[in-house]
Amino acid sequence: MSQELIYQIDEKYKEYLSDESRMTGVADSISFPKEENEIIKIITRLKKSNTPITIQGGKTGIVGCAVPIKGHVLNLSNMNHIKDFIKSAGGEYFIKVEPGVSLLELNKEINMLENKEELFWPPDPTEPSATIGGIASCNAKGICSYAYGDTKKYIDQIRVVQSDGIIRDIKRGEELISFANSKIDLIDVYLGGEGMFGLITELTLKLKPKPKFIWGIAFFFKYKEDIFTFAESLITSNLQSQESYIAAIEYIDRETIDIIEKRKKFMSKLQSVPDIEPENTGMIYIEIHGDKEESIETIAEKLMELAISNNSDPDKAWALSGDIEVEKVRNFRHAAPESVNAFIEEMHQQDFRITKLGTDMSVKNENFSSILTKYETDVKNENLKSCIFGHLLENHLHVNILPKNYEEYKRGITLIEKWAEYISLKNGRVVTENGVGKLKKSLFLKATPPKYIDEIRKIKCMLDPEGIWNPGNMI
Amino acid sequence: MWIVKIAVCIKQVPAYSSEMVSNETGTVIRSGIKSMLNPYDLPAIETAVRIKGKIGANIDIFTMGPREAEAVIREAYSRGADRGFLVNDKRFSGADVLATSYTISQAMKTVDSYDLIICGRQSTDGCTAQVGGELAELLDIPSVNWVNKICDIDDCSITVEQLLEKEKLVLKIPYPCLISVEPSIYSPRMPSLKLKILASKKDIKILSLKDMKDKDFKHYGLRGSATKVEKIFPAPKIERQDIIEKDPTEVAKDIFKLISLVKDL
Repeated sequence: MSQELIYQIDEKYKEYLSDESRMTGVADSISFPKEENEIIKIITRLKKSNTPITIQGGKTGIVGCAVPIKGHVLNLSNMNHIKDFIKSAGGEYFIKVEPGVSLLELNKEINMLENKEELFWPPDPTEPSATIGGIASCNAKGICSYAYGDTKKYIDQIRVVQSDGIIRDIKRGEELISFANSKIDLIDVYLGGEGMFGLITELTLKLKPKPKFIWGIAFFFKYKEDIFTFAESLITSNLQSQESYIAAIEYIDRETIDIIEKRKKFMSKLQSVPDIEPENTGMIYIEIHGDKEESIETIAEKLMELAISNNSDPDKAWALSGDIEVEKVRNFRHAAPESVNAFIEEMHQQDFRITKLGTDMSVKNENFSSILTKYETDVKNENLKSCIFGHLLENHLHVNILPKNYEEYKRGITLIEKWAEYISLKNGRVVTENGVGKLKKSLFLKATPPKYIDEIRKIKCMLDPEGIWNPGNMI
Repeated sequence: MWIVKIAVCIKQVPAYSSEMVSNETGTVIRSGIKSMLNPYDLPAIETAVRIKGKIGANIDIFTMGPREAEAVIREAYSRGADRGFLVNDKRFSGADVLATSYTISQAMKTVDSYDLIICGRQSTDGCTAQVGGELAELLDIPSVNWVNKICDIDDCSITVEQLLEKEKLVLKIPYPCLISVEPSIYSPRMPSLKLKILASKKDIKILSLKDMKDKDFKHYGLRGSATKVEKIFPAPKIERQDIIEKDPTEVAKDIFKLISLVKDL
């Protein structure tokens, strides 16, 4: 019976040996279970031969978490059912889903819910085809994390298949375990655990009332200095009110704008976005959410004043409101990593050793201008090309090196290692939202205190003593 | 100084897809569906704003619908329109193309005599592409549809390029006249922050039956309609999945053939 669930890897399954990172791996077999029972059967069979298992979702990851290095690939894309919508006695809303449900499907389902209040699930990573299991496993964030935080906050319960085949329901707040001289919630080991501790078969997501109004404003700047002073004034000004708040502040550099515009004709979702004037050196996109449009307008007016005093023309700033309109600028922002990934794919086709070369580092104790200038100067000194975009207020910039050959790729790796060292010294985070996976493993191991790594290993030994889950990830 | 007086007709439409039409009842499932400015009207607004930028113009926006439709007028303000008129009365509801065109023609007559009326090609809900033509007929002015380019504009006429199936016609039309523009005419600009902030503070004039010259309610809404929609249903989907297993050159040839077939549909 279980034999029928497991297929030998051949040409037909080649696409499952890679993901958006452009890493390519190896595996002997693959399965596509549709339900928990099938997972148990698959695991039981694989355990007999001590075969390690790589868990796979939408293959949209960019650090190679779901790329196998040996053994079996357990692909969860067929476990894609939305199971239940729950309103708790305390008035909170939850939706129970299987891990293979995509973000797109989830949002569609939430929009169709018959509920008095409009609801949403705040995590909003770039790729709508990402699965909820994948988003949970790397604790993704998305552009509005400034207001809403990371994915963990919005997952209340998970159901996990352990390596011994036993199924456990883990609810937030019910079980704490020791980690680095403190206690952490067991659920948070799995969320962001990159599939190393167990296989999540069900997630109970916490929904929030959707803000009634949403505005997206894009400011354009001719001079870098004006971007820096505008960024500084965003930090020092009081831009919140009781009814409205800034949900996202994103920076996009000229090189990123150019790479998006080059690919625009292939992206139907960008057809309604006009070209950005060539004299602009960068843009800052700000999203405001709230329940009263008047208070959003008050924030928008303050932003307009700040923009004027920093030489950004408010006549040329884009201002959109409502989900449908705001989606147009979000699509533009989302096209940034998509365009970079498409470039890397082209280079990967020319030289298979070239994979994604992007950073995911954040540092709070530094100002935006000095960290951006550092990245730009280093890239220029190495005679490389890059695209820089990301979350401005947390200095969480994604610097994507665009190597044209393997030599440039190697120089890019050295540069990223240098930045990781620098960010660690500044007490920043080397890996923030994209995961460690296999691509950033050496970076993560170098930049993380050995004691912390030992603690992760202890938990791995405790929850997966035979080491069957996701070999090669993180540690 | 003379400036051209332009009226632009726009519509608020549901942001629905074919999946949101009930096969059983033949009606649109409106629960939870958001509204939006008809995307075909954006190039119409953009055309007016470009003319304004080039030779100066006053742009008036007309839309017929419920009070919520004020949102699309404000959106037009944020793209450069000057005044907005919401044609709103319970007695206007249920109007077909004819009654809609008649109501808008009456509304326009109460406000001004326009040199140029600009419409989008069609709406995404009704999709008839007939309001522009009927409105011109009721106002007794010439109309040109499928306008793909504004070639010239002066104080007494507009010269446009009309895109036909196999040829392009260049037409010089004296004022007053109506044009229906194709989406390809201009890429619509994004709303500007400055105008958007001002938009919320601008007035919108409501025009109801009492404002019209013809006050006979039987000429409006369902009663004034010549047609009645019996049922709306989604077009049947053709779902076919073919797997072509040949060598890459042959596969490429087959794909090319398929694309040509789809293009001819």
